[in-house]
Amino acid sequence: MAAPTEIIVRSYQVGFGDCFLLSFVYRTTSRHVLIDFGSTGLPATAAKDQLMRVARAIRDDCGGKLHALIATHRHADHINGFDPGEHNDGSGAIIASLEPDLVIQPWTEDPKAPKNAKGPTAVGAHSKAFLRAINEFEQALPAASALMRENRDSPLLNQLAFLGEANISNHRAVKQLIKMGKRGKAQFVHYGSASGLNLPGVRVSVLGPPTIEQSLSITRQRSVDPEEFWSLVAGNAATASSVPPFSPRYRAARAPGPARWIIERLSYLPAEQLLEIVRILDGVLNNTSVILLFEVGKQVFLFPGDAQVESWKYVLSKTSANPSIRKRLEDVTVYKVGHHGSLNATPKTLWRMMRYRGAQRKGKGELALHSFLSTMEGKHGSTDNNTEVPRRTLLAALKLETILHSTESLPPSKLKVEHVFVP
Amino acid sequence: MTKETDVRTLRIIAQDPSVKHLSGENAGRILTAHVQIPAEDLRPGPWGYRVQVIDFDASSQTAFKSYRSLSATAGDRYRNSSDSLILKDPRFHCQNVYALVMHTLARFERALGRRLRWGFGSHHLIVLPHAFRGANAYYSPRDHALLFGYFTGATGEQIYTCLSHDVIVHETTHALLHGLRERFNYPSSPDQAAFHEGFADVVALLSVFSLPAVAAAILNHASPISNQDAENDTGLIQERAVSVKALRSSGLLGLASELGGELAAVRGNALRRSVELRPSPTYYTDSPEFRQPHRRGEIFVAAVMNTFLEIWAGRIETLREVRSGFVSREHVIEEGAEIAEILLTAIIRAIDYTPQTHIQFGDFLSAVLTSDREARPRDEKYQLREHLHRTFVSYGIHPASKSENGEWEPAPSELSYRNVHLDSMRSAPDEVFRFIWQNAGALNVNGEAYSRVLSVRPTRRISQDGFALEETVAEHHQTIILKARELKRLGIEKPTGMPSNFEVRLRGGATLIFDEFGRLKYHIHNDVGDATRQSRRLQDLWNLGMFNSQARDFSRMHRSRFSMFGQDGRGEEW
Repeated sequence: MAAPTEIIVRSYQVGFGDCFLLSFVYRTTSRHVLIDFGSTGLPATAAKDQLMRVARAIRDDCGGKLHALIATHRHADHINGFDPGEHNDGSGAIIASLEPDLVIQPWTEDPKAPKNAKGPTAVGAHSKAFLRAINEFEQALPAASALMRENRDSPLLNQLAFLGEANISNHRAVKQLIKMGKRGKAQFVHYGSASGLNLPGVRVSVLGPPTIEQSLSITRQRSVDPEEFWSLVAGNAATASSVPPFSPRYRAARAPGPARWIIERLSYLPAEQLLEIVRILDGVLNNTSVILLFEVGKQVFLFPGDAQVESWKYVLSKTSANPSIRKRLEDVTVYKVGHHGSLNATPKTLWRMMRYRGAQRKGKGELALHSFLSTMEGKHGSTDNNTEVPRRTLLAALKLETILHSTESLPPSKLKVEHVFVP
Repeated sequence: MTKETDVRTLRIIAQDPSVKHLSGENAGRILTAHVQIPAEDLRPGPWGYRVQVIDFDASSQTAFKSYRSLSATAGDRYRNSSDSLILKDPRFHCQNVYALVMHTLARFERALGRRLRWGFGSHHLIVLPHAFRGANAYYSPRDHALLFGYFTGATGEQIYTCLSHDVIVHETTHALLHGLRERFNYPSSPDQAAFHEGFADVVALLSVFSLPAVAAAILNHASPISNQDAENDTGLIQERAVSVKALRSSGLLGLASELGGELAAVRGNALRRSVELRPSPTYYTDSPEFRQPHRRGEIFVAAVMNTFLEIWAGRIETLREVRSGFVSREHVIEEGAEIAEILLTAIIRAIDYTPQTHIQFGDFLSAVLTSDREARPRDEKYQLREHLHRTFVSYGIHPASKSENGEWEPAPSELSYRNVHLDSMRSAPDEVFRFIWQNAGALNVNGEAYSRVLSVRPTRRISQDGFALEETVAEHHQTIILKARELKRLGIEKPTGMPSNFEVRLRGGATLIFDEFGRLKYHIHNDVGDATRQSRRLQDLWNLGMFNSQARDFSRMHRSRFSMFGQDGRGEEW
């Protein structure tokens, strides 16, 4: 089979979430790759059964068959669309009926990784400690939900609610991914591993996530041993509800009178501690995102999920020793904006590398940089502390220097943004 | 009957519970020390005139039994307590934090020659030694408090940050520096963000080293006394065991390795890094990694700690050899502790001579060279200024002043003192402002900016010749708020990518040092309208994504020392 004649990129309206279909069109056939399907917030104008509508649109767009499905990481806004529902009548059931030949997930989702000492080739002891910690982290989340229920007025707890919601495992979606992987083939990837995709004429590179060992190899200075770090954080997260640190004989019946005002003031502390734990977990899970790069002729497509700066640092550290990686990043023509346009998922170093920035204004040949942004304003972060998503400064740069395709600009009647690229 | 004195002596943990006696009859026991602090009648807490310790744990919502009241003349209840008692009795923890916070406050007051205020409005700094479960400790200005966490270590033992000398002094220093230079908490150059951390680290480390017990521990690492030697201890040490190299590579590094690995989560690893970061100008000038505040602060720490080592090793060379190739261990320890003390005093005193905002490391170097010469003109014994100057330059940090010796230039001589009154000039911001107003031209005051005299502080120190050195230190602050598109009018470059309607706040101003006759001695300024410096600063802040961030959040700053990847994303963020 020769190389594709065109590639169609579709971004479906899932509000705050991601859902992309890449269709590689060959002379006589097409192969379709679905990247993520999830949402944690829909526009007010969206239909109640929006995810079902999107699932049906995917089915129609791929002609009833997926070559591959990629779940970049386990956050709800990337995978809850795969949930088949209690009675197998949810959006995930439709996706399962498309019988993907291959299911790609990060190494962190490999059910064998924590148990099997040999595990995937590059996954070592540090990575396993990390996985154990993620599981323990998740155990801290019910405490977070309890706090959230107590008081939803506080901005701190609202933030906690949002992060908690996205991080609490969606077990049915996770199980469904395992099931689909078993029916076809499951591939758990890390930087440098094979993707398992079978797309003639397309070169696919896995640029992330790094294993913990890979990450550590670029960290010159470490304050603590990583295994200790994770067990420390996880251990303290698990006991966040907390046992006092001294024997009962040192406990007082009540705090001394003059201390009352400060004790009342400090009532924010437990929530803040918990928020911190959930925030770490949130960032950590984002950094488990699969980063894929597809090269077809002159077109280079970069899909980094929600990978943040910390994960990107590994790829970027490789660019000086490995000019071919650098060149691939420089040549990117289609960029899926990382993490819904948050402040730390499009590293400026990466951004500056992309040489087709601004090309659409200069009329430099036929190539220009296209960006795809799937997001919903007002859901996450705050303009008060420059954490709003999408970050307005990044959005301004995207509008100025790329041809921006954003789900935010979709009218209520339309279900997707799409664009056809010729190699 | 106990004699009433001005000072009281309390027992503290010398560094943290992981640092133990290496030899002698106490081998294996926690290294403790006794510090002298101002004597006062203590209410339960302890609660004194500047510090209130409250032992409440917000994570478990538990109050612990209070440290009982103690009269100014009463002795130390924990003077001879066992290791196990001082670890498990929270009331000793309360004493430990109280003593070290007061000791640090007293040290700052002595160095600066006046009473100091905290950075928030109240007289009392609240200290919560077991505030929450978590590997963190921080200064929280909004709560008027230092909060210390506790956590479970990898082997299941409880780790209390309130038992760590350097962590306590580090946090207290943040609170004191906030009171001395409130504008250092605001977004500025990477140096200013780094300075708060680096300065707090340096004060903490030198405070620990100024205890003879710790100087002895460093020496024991550099040249161990084996048990055999201890029995027939001659009290001598080989001179080559106390070279700069030996003190650095086995002494300090040995101590750094001993410090509980898990506490590194809270304190970073200032000691280890200060030893490992060998002199080179490239970190400061060229390395993007060292533009991140944490890493940048390490350059400052390394410069000061290497100065300490060089002076110490230099002094050892001058000690009379007792036997060929041997010097007295006791003298070496005394010298080490004394040098730490003198260097620490010089470092603290320099704060009065720093600009009141936008500090850069070169400003600090000029400040310390000038203030030390003012208070301690004769420097033959330690050659502290020469060592500081040379070591800072070896790390790429040059004095901000262009004068030959790196000290600040004297203030302009043609100034008008008409109608300003000496008495008022020592205390009244309005009087100092009148002086500034009538000398606006000579003092480069920007006519367009909002102006305010933030503080006027009379100081009195005893100089080397035994006479009082009296000075008044005033801070004059200027602010201009404008839109990015207006920057061009002031000759300032708009950062690349900044929207033209973006609100920009420019800060500047001066520190004014008046002599005992009310004459201006030094005018240490960085002008609000300095186009070159402001252009660079705006671009830096924009690149770092810190532009509109509020005053420093110490809690988060300290937590990010503990990030998994050991680096934060500043510079890469939008």
